[in-house]
Amino acid sequence: MLESEYQEHNRFFLNMGPQHPSTHGVLLIVLEMEGEYVLDPQPVLGFIHRMHEKMGESRPCQGFMPNTARMDYVCALPYNHGYVSLIERKAGIEVPKRAEYIRVITSELNRIASHLLWLGAYLLDLGAFTPILYGFDDREHILDILESITGSRLTYCYYRFGGVYQDIDDTFIAATRAFVKRLRKRYSIYEKLVTKNIIFIKRTENIGIVSPDMALRYGMTGPNLRGSGIAYDVRKNEPYSVYPEFDFEIPVGGQGDCLDRYMVRVKEIEQSLRIIEQALDRLPDGPIRAKVPKNIKVTPGDCNFAVEAARGELSYYLVGDGTSTPYRLKVRVPSYSNLSCLPELGRGILLPDLVSILGSFDLVIPEIDR
Amino acid sequence: MAKKPKDYKEDFLHQGFDATETDYNQRGYHLEVVLNVNQVRKFAQTAYDLGFYIVFVAGLHVRPEEGQDKGNSGLEVVYQFARYDQLYRIKGLVSVPNTLEIPSISDIYQGADWHERETRDLYGVVFDGHPNMKPLLLSEEDPDFHPLLKEEAKLKSLDEVSWSTEAPEVKKGKAEAETDR
Repeated sequence: MLESEYQEHNRFFLNMGPQHPSTHGVLLIVLEMEGEYVLDPQPVLGFIHRMHEKMGESRPCQGFMPNTARMDYVCALPYNHGYVSLIERKAGIEVPKRAEYIRVITSELNRIASHLLWLGAYLLDLGAFTPILYGFDDREHILDILESITGSRLTYCYYRFGGVYQDIDDTFIAATRAFVKRLRKRYSIYEKLVTKNIIFIKRTENIGIVSPDMALRYGMTGPNLRGSGIAYDVRKNEPYSVYPEFDFEIPVGGQGDCLDRYMVRVKEIEQSLRIIEQALDRLPDGPIRAKVPKNIKVTPGDCNFAVEAARGELSYYLVGDGTSTPYRLKVRVPSYSNLSCLPELGRGILLPDLVSILGSFDLVIPEIDR
Repeated sequence: MAKKPKDYKEDFLHQGFDATETDYNQRGYHLEVVLNVNQVRKFAQTAYDLGFYIVFVAGLHVRPEEGQDKGNSGLEVVYQFARYDQLYRIKGLVSVPNTLEIPSISDIYQGADWHERETRDLYGVVFDGHPNMKPLLLSEEDPDFHPLLKEEAKLKSLDEVSWSTEAPEVKKGKAEAETDR
């Protein structure tokens, strides 16, 4: 038997998902395999497609607010933030400073919660069970804090056009400060348990290298891009809200492998804590919501607003027609572009490495399918 | 960030594109480029050569222009590109002809692959030259169902949904005419 015939003979297809634990949701990846090597991974999307964009253009713009939390349910507040800011830009609404500070504090708390969940889940993918218990322990504190002011634990609908739903109180501030202190003490645990673990390093180092040119061609953003050494963060690059008032850094990686993406997210947790501390220190007094008309008219013309969600750049693109219902609402989600490079990145690698790459991308499938 | 931001209008004008500077604070992007079908690939290539990354490709359904020739399907495709190194966003807008075919840019920007398949799902625009024009988000069993196409009564012309330089009272009259639906 010729070698090529032998190879042909040994090729087979493997369905990874839609119920596979490391796809974190209902994602199917059809893998063309040869032994343990992946020749061509093709993601199949749409299992939880709900057509959010159609809902966005079939009801007045306030009515879309709950939908924003149901795309990326792990980090919902930046999605709230992007949408309210988009309508505020379109309608020319000025937001009180205190409201913007509250938005930044809650968004950053949500970002940390998302990164902690990812950290636990990624390690679980790689076969380590313990980190997710520590991650969930810390994340639980954030959920409690956010629940006390937003009323929900996951699918927040807390921001309003022109401000936020309700003011934060002393209990919230004290709990947040206590949490910042607590999480800093926990770094050494994570470092001993994960970052310096030799098995973890072997599973992530030099695996799934994303080059800057590849990132550009696929439109990758967020920690997945910053792992490749490009310091692009919407909070710095396209400053929105009150982010320019805070002093924080954009952590970047080196060569863009799974370990770099891991390190970027871990360092981002500390930067988010710094933002929260500064915002709590300088929290201004004043109203938390501007006076806005009950029925906001979306003036004719298109408008774009981008924010930095936990997974990258989230853009809302709206076309208005003068009524209160958007004529068209496009949601550009980060995970969609981030995952789209998988067929190129996953060619010719080992199956366990593909699991490692998928985990390091921090995918949220409801966000991809919308 | 410390460097003075570069303006890319001249680069696109130089390549023969109809590029207009826009008010970023109002619209959220800096440059609007109106394309015809033959320019789409050149536009993407220019953006790639200048170092832009792809943000999204999306569709838009408007009422076809009356009185014009019949080559207009009423579908528009919107491209957005941005930069990693500075704040600059460009929007490209192309009208899809009646054949519903426009050239694919998925060999220049591989990330456009999924965006183009999604636009085919939601609007029925076929991207010529795309290697795999299969349904992505929607079911493969019903490839002719396009949920974002609007009913005839709800369609508005491109002018009605664009920023206008006209006097406000003209816009008001148009808005009132639409309230009875």
